[in-house]
Amino acid sequence: MKLTHTLVLTAALVTAAHAAPLTFDFKDPKGVNNVIFKLDAPLESINGQANGVSGTVTIDPEKPDATTGKIVVTTDSLTVPNAMMKEHMLGDQWLNAKANPEITFEIKKVGEIEKKGDKGEAKVTGLFTLNGVSKEITVEAKVTHLPGRLAERSPQKTPGDLLVIRAEFVIKRSDYNIQPGKNLDKVSDEIEIELAIAGAAPKA
Amino acid sequence: MAKMLQIFAVLCALAVLGIWFALGAHMGWSRNQIETKKVDPITEIAFSEFEDGFVPGIDFLGAGLIGSGVLFAAGFFLSKLKPKTS
Repeated sequence: MKLTHTLVLTAALVTAAHAAPLTFDFKDPKGVNNVIFKLDAPLESINGQANGVSGTVTIDPEKPDATTGKIVVTTDSLTVPNAMMKEHMLGDQWLNAKANPEITFEIKKVGEIEKKGDKGEAKVTGLFTLNGVSKEITVEAKVTHLPGRLAERSPQKTPGDLLVIRAEFVIKRSDYNIQPGKNLDKVSDEIEIELAIAGAAPKA
Repeated sequence: MAKMLQIFAVLCALAVLGIWFALGAHMGWSRNQIETKKVDPITEIAFSEFEDGFVPGIDFLGAGLIGSGVLFAAGFFLSKLKPKTS
């Protein structure tokens, strides 16, 4: 009996010491994950949101610099409160959602990591693809690991962890061949992007 | 007839102004969706939910007032065309 206890304890300690990287799935059935975009325009700034977020991020809490993953946003999930504006935005003159159905960010490098308990900040370099054009960009990301909190969000009370990623960055639409040099009096070249997404890693 | 058209134009302008004020006097473009901001209690992520609804903007106000102005002007010209009775 004592031997069994010792074996179980040893196994638990070995598992903890060599904790496997966790893969977080960002397909959120609650529809909370969102990407906000803001553009300056003469009458009022254009504020929109996208919620067609998916993708995975694999992170090892012991080696956060080895984080890999890809976040995908479906182009046709981008919405603005004016129907005509949305139609133009997704049309072939602007984002061409039919030809470019996804906006993606693929993690290439994670550096300058500052870890404070379950929270952390890092500079994440990745390949950002918009309108079919890919460019390497670096964004500052804030990450919060919520161990064991998945059950609170899951109707089936699935045990597991949550990972919340927040990032704010600015891109230029001209860099992504979206009407470069055109309509600058109507819509600014710079686009502010705010990302707030939560991923789930169910425990097997 | 001309007088009636001018009265109708003034009523239209007042109605457009009244609707615009009553639905928020929004100074931007008209909106087809109404945004409600929420916060997820566990992840603390702020997000918006959209419902179909109309928020008139200054394009609605401008079009309404211009339309009313055209009606009023039409009434004015009609009154000028009216044959004088002696």
